[in-house]
Amino acid sequence: MTTDFHSLVAPYALDALDDEERVQFESHLSDCADCRAELAGFVATATRLGEAEEQAPPAALRGRLMAEVATTRQERPAVVALHKKSALRRTLPRLAMAAAFLVGAVGVGGYVNERDAANDLRADKATITALMSASDAMTIDRKFDGGGHVVLVSSDDADAAFIVASDLPGLEDGKVYQVWTVKGDSPTSQGVFAKSGSMVMEDLDGADRIAITIEPKGGSKLPTTKPIAALAV
Amino acid sequence: MAQGASHLRIAGSAEPEPVPDLNELLTRVSRGDETAFGAVYDALGASVYGMAKRVIRDPARAEEVSQEVFIQVWQSAARFDAARGNAKSWVLTLAHRRAVDAVRHDQAATKRENKYDWSSGPDFDEVAETVTISLEHEQVRRCLDSLTDLQREAVNLAYYKGYTYSEVAESLSANPATVKTRMRDGLVRLRDCLGVEAS
Repeated sequence: MTTDFHSLVAPYALDALDDEERVQFESHLSDCADCRAELAGFVATATRLGEAEEQAPPAALRGRLMAEVATTRQERPAVVALHKKSALRRTLPRLAMAAAFLVGAVGVGGYVNERDAANDLRADKATITALMSASDAMTIDRKFDGGGHVVLVSSDDADAAFIVASDLPGLEDGKVYQVWTVKGDSPTSQGVFAKSGSMVMEDLDGADRIAITIEPKGGSKLPTTKPIAALAV
Repeated sequence: MAQGASHLRIAGSAEPEPVPDLNELLTRVSRGDETAFGAVYDALGASVYGMAKRVIRDPARAEEVSQEVFIQVWQSAARFDAARGNAKSWVLTLAHRRAVDAVRHDQAATKRENKYDWSSGPDFDEVAETVTISLEHEQVRRCLDSLTDLQREAVNLAYYKGYTYSEVAESLSANPATVKTRMRDGLVRLRDCLGVEAS
């Protein structure tokens, strides 16, 4: 399959993959130095295509942005404070678990929103570390009859969750798994994956469940099927 | 044309200010520096908005997407790693992804082919900048013209219209595998023609 994936470098650089292929390609990217090398030049080329269209934005946009950033929280840096020995004891097993997940994530990763898997991994690792060391971290491991399982770690304190799906039952062509955060009755899409994937979710915004549904390729705006899993967070 | 894009931009700017180091600015943004954020916006706002408008067509929607892009830059600046690429590519990559996603989601509701462009022309004080824009635009256009028809169409439909390669294949009545290859050949030729060096 390596040659097949390699043929996706150019379409990927042009954002000409659908969501599912994008996820698959990105997980492949971390294992393919040749792809990354070629991609860098293609991305720089695509950047020139974008710059060529340069046009002054409406003047009001700058003011709106400056006002918005003044009240918008940024992703936090990866500093985890360990105050007490007891906290350390509680934390270590979870960190070991996080490390195991990360190894898995490099192989199967489903980095949905960004191009640079390595950058994402670094940021995700920070979130996962914060998550695992939160005193209220909670882990759910759900196995499925058709094979595969989903592990969910969540914490209110860290306001984040981490989900890893491994070897879920294969889906018919044109279908994907889609992950949602659900607050009351209102779901928010977090992304899609094929058989396996991992996803870090930040700013849960008081969501009370994480649900997975089967949706048409590319994902849906709202769930169209009953969840195959709905996990409390 | 032997000049690179950065030369063109310096030649066209009104004041002899040094070009801000975007990588450095983005690092400051990641630490919550709002002034640095403003500078990043000043440097890349026109590229992001212009690209988004070309892809999305609807100026109001393009503005909305540009706003989302820069908020994302603010929120996730800590993810930017200068060792792995330059800041401009990072921001424009985020922006193009969002523009393409917007087009795909809006597709059903918007007849983007026939959308009339209601945006006003450039303000008079932007004339100096407009000149440099057209030089960069001209160079890219000339390089696009050097591609074969199929290469050019494949690149255009994907980058500027947000088509997936399958949609490009359908629209050009070509084999998807051929389209992927043409995209690659097209990008290689463009890269060489534009003198792009992978950073």
